Amino acid sequence: MLSALFIAMLTAITVWWLLIQRLKDKPWLKQGVVPTSQETVTSSAPKVGLWVFLAVVSSLFGLFASAYMMRVGGHGGLVTWQALDEPSVLWINTLVLVLASGAMQVARNRIDADDFTGGRSYFLTAGLLTVVFLAGQIFAWQQARAGGNLGPGSPAYAFFVLLTAVHGLHLIGGLWVLGRTTARIFRVDANSVVARSRLRLSVQLCTTYWHWLLLIWLGVFALLLST
Amino acid sequence: MAYVAIADRDHPMHDPQTWIEKYVWSQDHKVIAIQYGSVAIGVGLVALALSLLMRLQIGFPDTFPFITPYNYYQFVTMHGMIMVIYLLTALFLGGFGNYLIPLMCGARDMVFPYLNMLSFWVYLLSVIVLLASFFVPGGPTGGGWTLYPPQTVLEGTPGHDWGILLMLLSLAIFIVAFTMGGLNYVTTVLQARCRGMTLMRMPLSVWGIFVATILGLLAFPALLVAAIMMILDRLIGTSFFMPAIMSLGEIAETDGGSPVLFQHLFWFFGHPEVYIVALPAFGIVSDLLSTHARKNIFGYRMMVWAIVAIGALSFIVWAHHMYVSGMNPYFGFFFATTTLIIAIPTAIKVYNWVLTLWRADIQINIPNLFAIGFIFTFVHGGLTGLFLGNVTVDLPLSDTYFVIGHFHMVMGVSPVMVLFGAIYHWFPKISGKMPNQTLGYIHFWMTFLGTYAIYLPMHYIGILGMPRRYYAYGTTDFIPESAHAVNEAITIAAIVVAVAQLIFLVNVFYSLRKGKQAPDNPWGATTLEWQTPQTPPVHGNWGPKLPVVYRWAYDYSVPGEPKDFIPQNEPPKGHHSLANS
Repeated sequence: MLSALFIAMLTAITVWWLLIQRLKDKPWLKQGVVPTSQETVTSSAPKVGLWVFLAVVSSLFGLFASAYMMRVGGHGGLVTWQALDEPSVLWINTLVLVLASGAMQVARNRIDADDFTGGRSYFLTAGLLTVVFLAGQIFAWQQARAGGNLGPGSPAYAFFVLLTAVHGLHLIGGLWVLGRTTARIFRVDANSVVARSRLRLSVQLCTTYWHWLLLIWLGVFALLLST
Repeated sequence: MAYVAIADRDHPMHDPQTWIEKYVWSQDHKVIAIQYGSVAIGVGLVALALSLLMRLQIGFPDTFPFITPYNYYQFVTMHGMIMVIYLLTALFLGGFGNYLIPLMCGARDMVFPYLNMLSFWVYLLSVIVLLASFFVPGGPTGGGWTLYPPQTVLEGTPGHDWGILLMLLSLAIFIVAFTMGGLNYVTTVLQARCRGMTLMRMPLSVWGIFVATILGLLAFPALLVAAIMMILDRLIGTSFFMPAIMSLGEIAETDGGSPVLFQHLFWFFGHPEVYIVALPAFGIVSDLLSTHARKNIFGYRMMVWAIVAIGALSFIVWAHHMYVSGMNPYFGFFFATTTLIIAIPTAIKVYNWVLTLWRADIQINIPNLFAIGFIFTFVHGGLTGLFLGNVTVDLPLSDTYFVIGHFHMVMGVSPVMVLFGAIYHWFPKISGKMPNQTLGYIHFWMTFLGTYAIYLPMHYIGILGMPRRYYAYGTTDFIPESAHAVNEAITIAAIVVAVAQLIFLVNVFYSLRKGKQAPDNPWGATTLEWQTPQTPPVHGNWGPKLPVVYRWAYDYSVPGEPKDFIPQNEPPKGHHSLANS
């Protein structure tokens, strides 16, 4: 159901977008050069590429969430769902990821204002906080296992580890890009307009990615808490 | 311009410096397209050989001792998965998507060429992992191409130990490859169209590939989710899909999983997958028909909207594959209704193809024969889909050869007809050589008539009640002797069709070596890929200046014009070209 809603939302966005792209045109009647999207577009290919990728990531988590909810709901006359006591450390982890996202935003603002030294510190702080978050998630796995009566055979525990692990893997991918961008911040030629603009773009992309993964984590956490 | 794909060329653009960079680690979309196409056709031949082995067993049981029940199911599984994923999806999107999108949109390349190169190599890895399962203990999985748990991972099923793991791993790798390619296709269409190329001036081939890619990007994650969860069930004993079950007389350790959950995930991917294959075919066949009938496509705008509508609807019909799994009757009603609704935009497309041909100057050549052949096979496959979309009709037919006949016509033969039409159509541009006509005609007629000889009788034996998936039928009262005779005939037809594909391969290699030199635009086509300065197009496609588009892609037989086609980049009368400004 969740996935169907997600797809419906994306479809609505697509149809709306197609409509504003003059899809009502009668191309057989018009000749000559007409303004294309290139002449009015403000975004760039990497930004569009990232948003397409985030749609794929969202679809992935939406489907995991759908599977989770179907299982919790006793789909197909299954045995009763044994809920997991969510480890308390997840609250701290959530706060850490919020801070990471915030630090990333400050870094972006600083670098947009050509303050590379300040931006660098916040950028690295965001990375560090993300590493802390990931370590906290691993601790949460242990806490859940130690505190509850649920083993690996338990669907609740397995779903918990799976959802957090897939989210963590996406963050690790982000950290790899963050590492490369950090190296670029250190060697940026502040006099080069092109280099500054490329760096800004990289930081903007990282920021978008971090915010989005924070939103996904909040969704996953809410889902876990709701059962 | 901010990026090279749509920039006039004042600096080098990842130009290859060495042979390796040009042909192996190439970032050129055309080379990557050929790499994708070659691997897809290569692995498709493996799947073709597997289908022949299956048919030999069904047509002539107890004749071939090397075909055991164990490996019969492995052949079934690998044939299905390879054909749907590793051949059709890869060839339409990785092959034709790569080749056509930048050329038809007037770009120099994909917007992320490095990612595009990675996409191919990761795809190749997925194929290698898949084929490796033939060489591991136990061989490849024999759980059926749908990989339903619990039997896929239980002892007793062929390849339940290594085979299924390699299959799932290979699928996961394929999805990574597809995502890398798909990001490129979507972003290139959105961001790298040349000046004047509005969305509504794009050829329908690009529309089909574009929407199919969006479907793939949203649907493949469902397969990834299912694959990850099943790998965990198989490897570390989780119970996502595995219920409490007795296996070979012993109680398995699993408990509480849902096999039906897997079916939902699989078909949430599986049904859009039909359209991931079909939409590019719809788009390409529209362009083939219009070009070779020398007439504008009928109802272009409606065709675009039909592609979008089919894409959206394809996400809400998946459970019609699961009627027999036992579902709430209201669900069955819902999914039967949505399934029948999707027939409306599909029918619009069929009518428009036929109306495009109506009173047109139809050229009888190989690409057009395949395109027209597609209309026949697709209508036949589509109409039998209406039967199976209804719950009450589906229930008795679901496990019979009727289903095999239906889906092979609609998503096997039909897309393959388009693929062949497309290969013959673009072969002159890709290779610079014309394909051999005689061999092409022989290939078409043997394939077209041969596939009818295979799949039409299957509907008949399906209605008789002949179950699918069986290794051997023995003697049963409800299967008459004539059905066995039909099966023999089907097998002979399958061998003939397989030989026809060898003729195609001979044609490709012969034409590459000895074919006549192709002119730049042998079919008199309007779309941009035929207007490149060189044939085959060189790296960067367009020389120093990008093309400028002044019209839609279907100006054929325009009254009062001296030629029967006007290329998209030809300015209207009284305008001077902006391409050099």
